[in-house]
Amino acid sequence: MRRYIVRQLVQFVVVVVGISMLSFAILHVIGDPVLLLLPQNAGREEFERYRRLLGLDQPLPVQYWKFVSRAVTGDFGKSWYGDVPAFPLVLERMPPTIYLTFAGLGVALAIALPLGILSALRRHSFVDNLCTALAVAGQAMPIFWLGIMLIILFAVRLRILPASGYGTWQHFVMPAFTLGAFLAPITMRLVRSGLIEVLNQEYIKTARAKGLGERLVVVKHAFRNVCIPVITVLGLQFGQLLGGAIVTETVFAWPGVATLTVESIRNQDFPVVQCAVVLLALIIVAVNLCVDVIVGFVDPRIRVRA
Amino acid sequence: MGRSRLAMLLLLALVLVLPAAPVAQTKDDTLVYALQSDVDSWDPPNSVLREAIILGYHVFDHLAVRDLKTGRVAPHLATSWKALDDTTWEVKLRKGVRFHDGHPFTAAAVKATFDRVLNPENKLTARGNHAKIKSVEIVNDHTVRFRTDGPYPLFVERMTAQVMQSDKIIKEKGHQWMQENPIGTGPYKLVKWSRKQEHLLVRNDDYWGAKPAFKHVRIRIIPEMATQIAELISGGVDVIKAVPPDQMDVIDKSGRARTSTSPILRTAMLQLDQAGRSGKNPFQDVRVRRAANLAADMDAIIKHVLNGLGDRTATGVNPMAFGFDASLKPYRQDLAQARKLLADAGFPNGVDVRFRTGLQIVEPGVLQTNEVIVADLAKAGIRAQQNHMGEVGPYVAQVKEGKAGPMFNWSWGYYSVFDADAILYDVFKCNEAYSYYCNKELDDLIISGRSTLDPKKRTDIYVKAQKLLFDDAAYIYKWGLRGVWGISSRVDYTAPRDEIDRMFIVTPRKK
Amino acid sequence: MSTLLAGSPAAPGAVPAAWRGSLRRLARLRWGVTAALVMLAIVAAAVLAPWVSPHDPLVVDIRHRLAPPVWMAGGTTQHLLGTDQIGRDLLSRIVWGGRVSLVVGVFAVLISASLGVLLGLGAGYFGGRTDAVIMTGLNVMLSFPFVLLALAVIAVLGPSLPNMILVLGVADWPLYARVVRAETLAIREREFITAGRALGMSHARLMFGQILPNLVSLIVVIATLQVARVIILESFLSFLGLGVQPPTAAWGNMLGEGRVYMLNSWWIAAFPGLAIFVTTLAINLVGNALRDWLDPNLKL
Repeated sequence: MRRYIVRQLVQFVVVVVGISMLSFAILHVIGDPVLLLLPQNAGREEFERYRRLLGLDQPLPVQYWKFVSRAVTGDFGKSWYGDVPAFPLVLERMPPTIYLTFAGLGVALAIALPLGILSALRRHSFVDNLCTALAVAGQAMPIFWLGIMLIILFAVRLRILPASGYGTWQHFVMPAFTLGAFLAPITMRLVRSGLIEVLNQEYIKTARAKGLGERLVVVKHAFRNVCIPVITVLGLQFGQLLGGAIVTETVFAWPGVATLTVESIRNQDFPVVQCAVVLLALIIVAVNLCVDVIVGFVDPRIRVRA
Repeated sequence: MGRSRLAMLLLLALVLVLPAAPVAQTKDDTLVYALQSDVDSWDPPNSVLREAIILGYHVFDHLAVRDLKTGRVAPHLATSWKALDDTTWEVKLRKGVRFHDGHPFTAAAVKATFDRVLNPENKLTARGNHAKIKSVEIVNDHTVRFRTDGPYPLFVERMTAQVMQSDKIIKEKGHQWMQENPIGTGPYKLVKWSRKQEHLLVRNDDYWGAKPAFKHVRIRIIPEMATQIAELISGGVDVIKAVPPDQMDVIDKSGRARTSTSPILRTAMLQLDQAGRSGKNPFQDVRVRRAANLAADMDAIIKHVLNGLGDRTATGVNPMAFGFDASLKPYRQDLAQARKLLADAGFPNGVDVRFRTGLQIVEPGVLQTNEVIVADLAKAGIRAQQNHMGEVGPYVAQVKEGKAGPMFNWSWGYYSVFDADAILYDVFKCNEAYSYYCNKELDDLIISGRSTLDPKKRTDIYVKAQKLLFDDAAYIYKWGLRGVWGISSRVDYTAPRDEIDRMFIVTPRKK
Repeated sequence: MSTLLAGSPAAPGAVPAAWRGSLRRLARLRWGVTAALVMLAIVAAAVLAPWVSPHDPLVVDIRHRLAPPVWMAGGTTQHLLGTDQIGRDLLSRIVWGGRVSLVVGVFAVLISASLGVLLGLGAGYFGGRTDAVIMTGLNVMLSFPFVLLALAVIAVLGPSLPNMILVLGVADWPLYARVVRAETLAIREREFITAGRALGMSHARLMFGQILPNLVSLIVVIATLQVARVIILESFLSFLGLGVQPPTAAWGNMLGEGRVYMLNSWWIAAFPGLAIFVTTLAINLVGNALRDWLDPNLKL
């Protein structure tokens, strides 16, 4: 077990380094910060002065090292637009996004688990076909479209939920559902295929043959084995979920880090973008590390396989 | 494991999701106002944003304010003013006014405010507005004198454009602190600012003036116009501004809110790079600029796209501004003439130009009208490639830095100063940050217009200036805007002509 | 629980189990065939846009803007689906917009599939250090908030059609790489590969000549499903104002521009939204049918 955890941690560190390189590259390789900052007709002298000021005259590895050593202490530089440090700005907006993501995850599970189990147990029945159709349709629906539709229905027509904003549990309902609907289809299909696979395995057949009740078979033996792949994949889907959160937050004026990032991107405020991307990626990696460790803890076979 | 662990995970999610601290105020004593984008700071002289002016009016006071009914400038923190000679203004100040921290408002505050703004080292945006002021002298606690660099006819108008900040704060707390902590003498105090989310204001019960009806004001930042409208008609927000003309019927038919429109002090144009700031371009030839003005059918656009919400202008000068010449007739569409001019200028096969578009928050409907203008221009042979920039901040920065040419949509709000000079100087004079036009003859007129206090002489000068601008077709002239506000049925409020919303005059509607 | 048992092969029935299986397959395929026909119609309309669209999608007519669809009061046969906020024919814009959306979808998928297959094959075939490097890159990509990455890159490069295709294509390779690598690992140990190696075949020949053909059906299925995803992502980017620039019509930016009209002139946003929905639905159904048909045991 210890070796497994150590191996996961090493992988974690490697991925984190990769993330820092990629987010550094976005600004310094693809775009030239000076070009973005200065007017086109700025003189050569001013151009060079700015380069020196930002430390851009140094070789890339040196610049990268500076970026990393600062980033480690939480210094991502000042926002080019708002004149405040980027790190606290991003950090302040993190909780609403995390809450929304977990709420969305909860909704997705609440939809996907029962439906997935149901369609696995009644393969090719009417219910199964209906669930599959729902899943396919759900995947074909642009998430912001669903969000606006919900606002029109529940806030404008029925007037039972606030149209946007943040604060009370009522504010959570529509954004969480929108985000949950985005994740539910894939989760449902996973639960279904996972359960079907497990149900066909020998030990389940044995359990059945022993005359155990179907409910008991499903709950005790099958379901717990389905949990592992589902949790693993949910961890991997976490990044997708954050992507969905961007659009959800925009529609519902949710004060999260995703709206901040989109706005900063449009403002070309790269310190903030860099900081947000790095922090979000760290969260995703950390979530996946936890998932791996938990799964490894639960299922010894995985420790060996990995 | 399985279920129990999963249940734990769900429980954890639920705990994390528990609502944040409940909000103290009730719906009845709280007014909610929505903005599409947030301010960059709470220090109005350090911001170019309209939102900063609006927020500033709630927490700070000005020496003078515009009376929304008459349109004239009326006393506020100043009780009276007079010109002692061509270059000296004496202003008497209101007595017994205190800042939110209890510090009294005196001549020292006025001096400290202007000294801070006028000091070039502080690099405050508002400096340009007051550059004509040379010095501020304290005569006694409640009298100040302004020395100006030559005659300064806009002095009185400009008093409405500068918030009074505390001398104590400027000295003891300093610039950085002031960015997030406004201490004014105004009707509301700032309780909490959650960046890009909301501002919570509470009534200043010691206010010297009329007491606002609502104890709290929440200013919410809602970037999506569709969401703003949904909030308005579902009762979540009381006042929204910049409603697109096409959405008025949604609000008016909702039974829960109504719209209110007013001509506002803002003229819309497509600026052309006559000065060549972004490099050599076809618009440096007057014939091409005239052709562009002749190509678009602005009257039809106002009628059909803006539902009549626009006042066609012959130049950039707004009908509400001092000096406007109503007798000058605007360009009318004449495609044949436009094509001929273009051919004369050496472009028989037309020209291709980049067209920077954006600012839809500032000018509702601009994306629609742009598309129509592009289609009209194409008929005359001017093929404009649209290049959109979504956010206000970078757009304005590009314009300032001379990167926006050869053609971009722009509108000018005069810093809420109702005078022709407030647009001519900033948007048409050589080498000004927002100007892409340069003409020495016009510059002379602009300078002479601000060098006399005689209204008659000034009117004559501006009539000449407008004729010149029309003949030289400096930019593609569009129209004076009319603003549309959405107002909840539970409150009384009307559209402000200076585009500065004042939540402290909103009252609950009698049932 | 008895219904469950009735569905199992052991249950007695009038029709033999094998028969029922293929009948069911056919029934499911019927959906796939219908979806494929719909898909074909959409592609045909996009390809033949200049001939089938009733109007020029860029022609502005402000005197007839916001006209409702033909079946509503005030609609005309001139504009079957009505007109948009500046009087352009909605049907024509949807037909032309489909071109852009499909081009983005297909080309982005071509890029990501080629990249992903190449890297996945390499990682699976060579193993060892190559595998470790590629897998680390893959993990980094997977832990990146993809939409954010795409947004950031587009903000730097500027929004345009080629940039969007590039970004969507480059960012999406890990999915292919992971699946291809896993399959390659399994195939690598099979006899025909070891035999080939013994015969002295080159790595390239083994990878592309021997292993790749076994993966084609798998890749085709994933790629089909991904086209749908990319079309949705394109609409995300356009919704946020970083997609295809006006006046060019694409489903995403039509939906984005029309969203403020949802409460009155709903058709401006509804029809492009419907177009996205129907297209991705059809693609998904075709993909699922392909999977069932090519290899019912594929787990995707």
